[in-house]
Amino acid sequence: MDKPSHLSVVIDLSLTQWTLCAQSTNPPGITLQDFLSQLLAFLNAHIACKDENTLAVFGAFPGQSVMLYSSTGEVTTTTAESTDANTYRPFRTLDSTIMSSIAERLDSYDGMTEEAPIGLVGCLTKALCYINRTITTALSSSQGGEGAAASVDPRILVLSVSPDQSSTYIPIMNSIFSAQKLKVTIDVGKIFGAENVFLQQAAHLTGGAYVQVERADALLQYMMMSFLPAPAIRQLISVPTQDRVDFRAACFCHKRIVEVGFVCSVCLSIFCQPVPVCSTCRTKFPMKTLQRLRDARPLAAPPGNAPPRPPVQKNGTTTPARPG
Amino acid sequence: MAGPSIRIKQAGESSKSTNTSGDDSSHRLVTFLQSQSQNTLTRLYQKPSSCLSIFRLLRPLERQLVMNLLWLEMPVPAATMAAWVTREGKRPYHDALSNLARLHILPQSPVKHALNPTFKSSMRQAITGGGSSGSFGVLTENDDKHPPPDIESLDAYALERWETILYYMVSSGTGQFPTKPSQGVLYLLQRSGLMANVHGNTLQITSAGFQFLLHPPHEQLWELLLQYLQMAEERQMDLVEVLSFLLMLSATELGKDYSTENLSATQKAMLEDLRDYGLIKQRTATSRRFSPTRLATTLTSSSPPLPTSTGTGNGSQAQGFIVLETNYRLYAYTDNPLQIAVLNLFVTLKSRFPNLVVGQITRDSVKKALANGITAEQVISYLITHAHPQMRKNKPLLPVTVQDQIRLWELEKNRVKSQEGYLYTAFASQADYEYVLNYAKQLDVVLWENSSRRCFFGSVEGHANIRGFIERRSAAGNA
Repeated sequence: MDKPSHLSVVIDLSLTQWTLCAQSTNPPGITLQDFLSQLLAFLNAHIACKDENTLAVFGAFPGQSVMLYSSTGEVTTTTAESTDANTYRPFRTLDSTIMSSIAERLDSYDGMTEEAPIGLVGCLTKALCYINRTITTALSSSQGGEGAAASVDPRILVLSVSPDQSSTYIPIMNSIFSAQKLKVTIDVGKIFGAENVFLQQAAHLTGGAYVQVERADALLQYMMMSFLPAPAIRQLISVPTQDRVDFRAACFCHKRIVEVGFVCSVCLSIFCQPVPVCSTCRTKFPMKTLQRLRDARPLAAPPGNAPPRPPVQKNGTTTPARPG
Repeated sequence: MAGPSIRIKQAGESSKSTNTSGDDSSHRLVTFLQSQSQNTLTRLYQKPSSCLSIFRLLRPLERQLVMNLLWLEMPVPAATMAAWVTREGKRPYHDALSNLARLHILPQSPVKHALNPTFKSSMRQAITGGGSSGSFGVLTENDDKHPPPDIESLDAYALERWETILYYMVSSGTGQFPTKPSQGVLYLLQRSGLMANVHGNTLQITSAGFQFLLHPPHEQLWELLLQYLQMAEERQMDLVEVLSFLLMLSATELGKDYSTENLSATQKAMLEDLRDYGLIKQRTATSRRFSPTRLATTLTSSSPPLPTSTGTGNGSQAQGFIVLETNYRLYAYTDNPLQIAVLNLFVTLKSRFPNLVVGQITRDSVKKALANGITAEQVISYLITHAHPQMRKNKPLLPVTVQDQIRLWELEKNRVKSQEGYLYTAFASQADYEYVLNYAKQLDVVLWENSSRRCFFGSVEGHANIRGFIERRSAAGNA
């Protein structure tokens, strides 16, 4: 049915990556300005679809995560409201709020110091909290009348240009499980850079679309066709999904991405080498098992290199050995 | 605990199952637009605000198809477009295509698909902002002497105007004399068939009017506006201007003042009518600024257009005031005379308190409503829409016994069907009877026959023929 839908957009605003993207020629890249103008057209289109559609935009800056805009008006700007008869006023407010919030923050970064990793995970969790709050307020006001099931169909869109940060594996997996509980769909658009393992898993586990943008100047058309349809309509119009998903995980001890590892049989935490005590659930493993595993373990790769990508099929992962 | 209940088919329900999953019919305005000429529609699409409002009235699949094609420069081959939909989406896809073709947004073509260029450029302007049509309404500067009206006064004004109209309809013929709405409104009500001029000058509500009263406010508003649009041509008003003004209103913002200077002559003439329906508010009749009320800003959305008596509710559930028990007793926590008058149509009201009205749904009251043309489904959906929040705990919302009983009372009307005619009996012999019967059957006027008693029943039209036949036979027999 024609239900209002909610969209939360998480924008990756890592300055070094955007500079690299603007300078790259093969595949052709796109500047931050062009990207933002296409993104604003997409956000306007989302609001144009239905009057009750809601929107929240989060920016993942280096070292911090900030809410840039929300339909419920939590973010206000100081720019004067212009009275233009040629623009639909909600679009105008949306565009100016986002641009001024981004401009304020970007000014505070200089090019000298090394850039901190972006707050992608912070944005994901803030988006999920916002969605949870809007769903609970909607349910409590409608008081579960006949046929008034979840009146919003929430989804999160992540637009990313940076590579994986392996230290964020655990928080991202936790966010994915919360998203599954809230029935939130996570879509991912990869505009520049190599494939992002964790975001692939996020899209796959929540039933969203993962799109690797090849022609960045046609970004708006990619977004319209893959990310604009609400989940209810995705049964009728197909959106691109992946058929091969990279299911690698990061180990809990060093936060390195591993293909083959050791899993605690109690809490399922992943380690790259056998440990006597599990760091998460404090289970002690018997010495004899540890020795057997250490002898049977393949030669360890030098630390710091991610192993080459294995050809993994969608339904299987490389089976880790289970101790104890 | 609801046990297995017999599902009672409503009178006139077809035997094939109704598809309720996302297959709602188009909005009434869309159906109206589909009957207009391509020229009219292209002129209408020149304004970005009209395109945006019409876009919001389309169904979800149609909207997505338009958005997919909006930013493409070259036409898309039909086969490529068909590849976008999944197997379940094939039939909705073809329905969507034919709907869009009738609206002249996406002309039919077996080979390539491209959007109507006017619509495409206006829609792009609507989304990115731009163009020079000024179609979203010119805001006025802040005037210290006359600040823009606040939202409560706008809501109160809209509510008062709207309820005046409805209350006048409900209480016509009951001997009360409520305040009359303006002449323009009365004319509109008469033309749309909701009220009729029965005895001289007084207007009485018709059965279509009764059904109208039970509809939700959005549908009521659009029914009146569509009638207004249909009358526009006779009143020498350009349909495109009228429609674009209405659609511009639906894109305006509540609580702001707009200037009347850029409006055409037709649109300025509409201001008075819109004031009467409660869509806009002006300080004086000649003021150069107007502000839209909630009725106008929610024209193309599904948010509630009118505040309730307890304040602006989030959804119609906050308006609920009816408690219905399994013993057919009804308690309505309201003191709004319009709501009480509407309840009086199908409920026997027994007592009235300052904040409560008590009544019972009886066979007589429901029969009276059915005689006025209201169907059982409308009564049940009215009760569901206005059910008190406490009733939400029941599953199903209304007691099954009461629902079924209302439908049974409706079916009682269909129990007996009567037809006029003549009964032919007392034939002299079996051969006589069969001879006349065969003749009547050839004329196809036999309604009922009983050969053991040698009588049959013929319709009124065939009577003259049969009588002539019998007379000729008896004359021939005697001669």
